[in-house]
Amino acid sequence: MRQIQDEAGRTLHLPPRVERFISLAPNLTEIAYAIGAGDRLVGNTTFCDYPEDAKKVVKVGDTLQPSIERILALRPQVVLVSTASQLEAFTKQLDEHGIGVYVTDPHDLEGVFRSIEGLGAVLNQSERANQVVKQLRERAAAVTEQTKSARPVRVFYQLSAQPLYTAGRDSFVTDLIRRAGGMSVTADVPEAWPLYSQESAVAARPEAIVLPTGGSMGAANADVAESLKRSPAVLAGKVYKINGDLLVRPGPRAVDGLEELARALHPEVFNR
Amino acid sequence: MMASTETISDRAAIHSLHTGRATLRKTVIACCVLLVSLIVALLLTSLLGSERLPPRAAMCAVLSFGQSSCGLTSDQQTILFQIRLPRLFLAAAVGASLAAAGTGYQALLRNPLAEPYLLGISNGAAVGTMIALVFFGSYEWSRPLMAFAGALFSTLLVYQLARGRAGTTPDRLILAGVIVTTFLSSAIVFVTTLMDATRIRSFTFWLLGDLSGTTTSLLAIAIVVTVCGTAALAWHARSLNLLMLGERDAFDLGVEVSRVRVIVFLAASLLVGSSVAASGSVGYVGLVVPHLVRLSLGSDNRITVPAAALSGALFVVIADTLARTIIAPRELPVGAITALIGAPLFVYLLKRRG
Repeated sequence: MRQIQDEAGRTLHLPPRVERFISLAPNLTEIAYAIGAGDRLVGNTTFCDYPEDAKKVVKVGDTLQPSIERILALRPQVVLVSTASQLEAFTKQLDEHGIGVYVTDPHDLEGVFRSIEGLGAVLNQSERANQVVKQLRERAAAVTEQTKSARPVRVFYQLSAQPLYTAGRDSFVTDLIRRAGGMSVTADVPEAWPLYSQESAVAARPEAIVLPTGGSMGAANADVAESLKRSPAVLAGKVYKINGDLLVRPGPRAVDGLEELARALHPEVFNR
Repeated sequence: MMASTETISDRAAIHSLHTGRATLRKTVIACCVLLVSLIVALLLTSLLGSERLPPRAAMCAVLSFGQSSCGLTSDQQTILFQIRLPRLFLAAAVGASLAAAGTGYQALLRNPLAEPYLLGISNGAAVGTMIALVFFGSYEWSRPLMAFAGALFSTLLVYQLARGRAGTTPDRLILAGVIVTTFLSSAIVFVTTLMDATRIRSFTFWLLGDLSGTTTSLLAIAIVVTVCGTAALAWHARSLNLLMLGERDAFDLGVEVSRVRVIVFLAASLLVGSSVAASGSVGYVGLVVPHLVRLSLGSDNRITVPAAALSGALFVVIADTLARTIIAPRELPVGAITALIGAPLFVYLLKRRG
């Protein structure tokens, strides 16, 4: 047995090599495939739709309501969970059955990289994970390099229009926006995904509005909130729809999201 | 508790047979005081929000009905006239609807616990709204219509379930309400699990009561329904007084019991339906407000119906202002605030009376 600490500071006892594991979040599924551990993934959620192979894996429910019975039946050696709080009771239950639960909790892009390295250690793919992180870091650094002299654009990130949810201090999206040469007008708001006052959104006078939409979000969130229809961003035509899966999943594709964000916010830099 | 309520309502009913003019005066005074308080509250709360507006300019703009900018920037005008004021008016309409509907149900069903939320009528309207959103999402007017249908359906369901051979007893009514509430709650949970994750978030939030997302047409519907529904209930207040004696006694005293029952059910369902369609389920208003009003003004429905409507408006306007400002720029669902104020207040009232 080996001991490993997860991102919530819990200690896990794992077999020397993990042969069977379950992922309960789409970003963790994406990481597992990216580091070459996808063939040992024996169960994931109905939200896990990338890469294509992830769709063929046995589904144990969705991220919010996984079936404990099905998880036990699949005999995993470890279950990967994103953010601990929602699944506390559930984590305890799995612990009692001797199944380790590895919790990831990234709050910025660096945290996402650490999650990838952490899963590399858990799934015996450290070398591959380090390679992946190295490449992602280089791409992220390239974006920062290109946008660093540009004037930061004031961005409002609209996660949903009704009710109005945005990205706050603890969200990794806030970090992505900063790295892309933007400045989230809600960067100091507590929580990761706060319910936000429409009045404050109007008063912030965002220069650009980012809408995560499409992908697995379908047609949801394709429109700017009614109260922001006369904001400087909308008047200047600076409303950017970006594939939601790249922005709401703290996984390897977050860097794709970062690149798209940077291209949207600073066309003057990237179209040269 | 039931017994004491009965004697209070008996007294009110008999009282109302004799003293018409005194009641009219009392009603006019009480309603004027409440109306002035409501207008003052609306003016004051229009100055409060997550964004600070210059008070004098904002007040000037409000009093000029938006004709003059009074030096407000265009953003400040958007905040005041397109976000804050519509929300305040919706809060007032929702509060008035729920409190008036609660008063109507309580009188008709002769039960102090009869309340849209506890009887499952809000849940019925919520199911109706969800069906409208899922199947006729692009037609906004389908929401209040389906919510009304849902409210009416659950009202009739509760009423039928509660009717035993010995008539509707208070215990049976509450039991029926609990059954319908829990059944419809499960139906809501079932539907939300079938929907995708992004919509679940807005739904669970909406179910707790959310006044932030109104549109001009939903607001207009809510206001018109509030006024008409409350007027319909107030028009039948005298019959409601007599009904508080019992259906048979009311019938003997010349009340067309079945006609009044239909009108009250229709009016109350309309009130609940339009408010749920516009704002989800804001709990406790229909329970706490009529009780407070009866405690301070007596239980003559000619007073309690309009007074409860005005007090309900006042209550929700204040509760929503708290929801908008306590943790600004973040927000809380208004239903959480009404329950947080309402539940302890209700316990206090029960203790004091019992």
